[in-house]
Amino acid sequence: MADGIRFEKVSVAYGGNTVLDSLDLTVESGEVMALLGPSGSGKTTALRAVAGFVRPASGRVLIGDRDVTDLPPHRRGIGMVVQQYALFPHLRVEDNVAFGLKAQKVAKNEIPGRVTEALEMTGMASYAKRYPRELSGGQQQRVAIARALAIRPGVLLLDEPLSALDAQLRSGMLAELARLHRELPDVSILYVTHDQVEALTLADRIAVMDKARLQDVGTPQELYRRPRTEFTASFVGNANLLPVQVGSGSVSFAGAELKVPTGDVSSGVSATLCVRPHLVGLGDGPNALTGSVAEVQWRGSTHRLYVDVDGHRLKADLRELRTPPALGDEVTVHFAPEDAVLLSAGVSADG
Amino acid sequence: MASATLGARAGVRVKSRTEIPRWVWALPPVAVLGLVFLYPLALVVQQSVTPDTGGTSLQPYADVFASSAFREALGTTVWLAVGATVGCLVLGFALALVIAFVPFPGGKAVAKFIDVFLSFPSFLITLALLFVYGSVGMANGLWTDVTGAATGPFQFLATPWGVLLAEITYFTPFVMRPLLAAFSQIETAQLEVASSLGARPARIVRQVILPEALPALAAGGSLVLVMCLNEFGIVLFTGAKGVTTLPMLVYGKAILESDYPGACVVAVVNVLISVGLYGVYKVVSRRARA
Amino acid sequence: MLVHSRKGKWAAWVAFLVLFLPLFALPLLVIVAASFATSWSSAFPTGFTGGHYRAATSGASLQALTTSLVTAVSASVLALLIGTWAALAAAALKKGGRRVLDALFMLPVAVPSVVVGLAVLVAFSKPPVLLNGTRWIVILAHTILVTAFAYQSVSAAIVRLDPAYEQAAASLGARPSYVLWKVKLPLLLPSLNAAAGLCFALSMGELSATMMLYPPDWLPLPVQIYSTTDRGSLFTGSAISVVLMATTLLVLLLVSRIRTKASYR
Repeated sequence: MADGIRFEKVSVAYGGNTVLDSLDLTVESGEVMALLGPSGSGKTTALRAVAGFVRPASGRVLIGDRDVTDLPPHRRGIGMVVQQYALFPHLRVEDNVAFGLKAQKVAKNEIPGRVTEALEMTGMASYAKRYPRELSGGQQQRVAIARALAIRPGVLLLDEPLSALDAQLRSGMLAELARLHRELPDVSILYVTHDQVEALTLADRIAVMDKARLQDVGTPQELYRRPRTEFTASFVGNANLLPVQVGSGSVSFAGAELKVPTGDVSSGVSATLCVRPHLVGLGDGPNALTGSVAEVQWRGSTHRLYVDVDGHRLKADLRELRTPPALGDEVTVHFAPEDAVLLSAGVSADG
Repeated sequence: MASATLGARAGVRVKSRTEIPRWVWALPPVAVLGLVFLYPLALVVQQSVTPDTGGTSLQPYADVFASSAFREALGTTVWLAVGATVGCLVLGFALALVIAFVPFPGGKAVAKFIDVFLSFPSFLITLALLFVYGSVGMANGLWTDVTGAATGPFQFLATPWGVLLAEITYFTPFVMRPLLAAFSQIETAQLEVASSLGARPARIVRQVILPEALPALAAGGSLVLVMCLNEFGIVLFTGAKGVTTLPMLVYGKAILESDYPGACVVAVVNVLISVGLYGVYKVVSRRARA
Repeated sequence: MLVHSRKGKWAAWVAFLVLFLPLFALPLLVIVAASFATSWSSAFPTGFTGGHYRAATSGASLQALTTSLVTAVSASVLALLIGTWAALAAAALKKGGRRVLDALFMLPVAVPSVVVGLAVLVAFSKPPVLLNGTRWIVILAHTILVTAFAYQSVSAAIVRLDPAYEQAAASLGARPSYVLWKVKLPLLLPSLNAAAGLCFALSMGELSATMMLYPPDWLPLPVQIYSTTDRGSLFTGSAISVVLMATTLLVLLLVSRIRTKASYR
């Protein structure tokens, strides 16, 4: 019953400006796929191509096994929730939720039941008679989700659904969305966001976009632990990106020999070494590096140290220090070989 | 999930139903407009080159352009319109400045009043001026009461100056409205920063407010210019034989003299001037919004 | 904000009042005062009478009031229908087509009303469509004149309408016609109301084209005011003017009440 989404070489251009470049991506049925990227990366354009609000210059968009490239939006059978909610201000909550059912000529006696069902699913049943303007932002967002779910779409498109909410509401809604997906395991969800926390929390897989192109796809764990490009490494989580020369079973950085798994990267080439700041430890250990403290930031539960090692700035997130080092102090930091990922320059160059 | 299974399956490209192209929907209103407005306008042009003697010639144009009445009317129309526009701009700018930047209780009511003022017909102003400055009106009455003279000094109502005063009065709100909208876009913080830096009000008006208001001034000014060129009610109510504008000439030739070719010639000239200026207004106001 | 000293503020306010009161408030007050006066030959009107209103609300003047009301309501309804249709159709077009429609429908604003009257007179004084001498020619001219304003305000409202509503409706499976009736038109209703009020007010005060066209049995209020004052009955003319202003204001007020009921945000 459920439908996946498939992009086949989808390109979108506005006035000669390519905003989505030959996207190939498959969202399996029942999967949550996050499209993660900075603004202008083409992620929203990709979502709007599925919804039918932008027309690809080339390529095909499939929902299930239907080619919907030439279908108008209202015949695609999708549910969509956008950042500004777009609840119809002249309709009560229940009529907003019933809108899609009435538009699709669902049998009259079936509508009240489906409306109640959708409102209960989002916890908004007791607000059925209110107008949107009488609801808070978070409540409006729940109604918008209920409205999209009421038509029982095979595909749900969420376009930055939480970015208009404040931080506290956002984490609550995140848990809510995760619960909804557990209750509706058949619905495929395409979730556009620029917030890595949302993507990491919610998605089965993340597609990282930048400069109109797909940069990387993988499960959150894969992307976080084994990023393949510098862009992924720095956009999904935080990263130290160190320029290194690859040897055999080790790399050299700033005159020091670091033992890291080099995999199939051939020796002698330049590459980038990615080390997560929270995996860097203070004091002596394996792969020790010495430098002077350039900056100390206290962040409550952690200290962020910036250490200059031979002109390269290294970030280290450390559990709160009793006595943090002073600026200019010589310190030694280290990281375990298995915590480093070598990004070969070749991969990062063609993105 | 029922909705998602609608439509053809098996990887075939689902054909979008043949829908009526969008431009078809524009045809009915355009057809109506063409029939009741554009076609009559075309007939006016046609009539203007069809003298009563028959045939097609530019003779009506030659006749009209040669007549001193037309040249006088053209001159009067243009200088009245330009004068009224300048007056409206100066007055409107000053009044809007006070409403927006020297706020006083009742300022909102004044802005409301201006909106109401705009919904009344123009000739009421002339009617009112008859009571204020007419030969036996308020101002002259006051003068004769005080000085004991037989007549008052205000005798300008039947002259172009009376029309000018009425037009400035009636059209100034048309300048004030876009100006007030533009002024509301200026952040008060900008003015406060400017005055904290030691700028006097005159300098703030010149260097901060005026540049922001310039597009609105240009747009409002060109709108008023067009409306003044086309104004009829004010001139008609003045009843002055000495003041003839192009619209008055059209009315006179058509209704009073039944000289349709002549009326049409004047009408074509008037339309060309007004539509040309209106085009300028649209360009300017589009830039004002950008 | 601009002037900080107390003295400067008062100077600005006094200057404002000195300009504003005589220019804008005085004319309307004078007309109201004159409508109650028996004579006005010195500084202030003398004698109080309601007689002018008796004249202004009976006989030919009453006839003119109903004529104006019927004309204004018919012209506004027609203009709103054509203007809204055209504005909606224009919004669906590409940029070039939209420009053409904008230009066509704004043209009646630029063309002098007198010329609109002349054009209608020239076109409909002969077969196949002979309207001259009937009330329809007046209503037609008014419709042409106010359609431009209806088109303009509805177009502006459509531009302001957030496309997210339309797209949300489409994503829920609503056909374009369903979106139009259930989403777009309800959301445009406040603007349609405002446009209706504008059209009504303009038509009530229309004099230029009407002077070219009116038949003897279809005399709207402005023409009645003109012929009354032209005969020298300035005071009765003032009373009829007050009736005209009051009627216009009353209708605008009613329309704005509907508007506040219909605005959702």
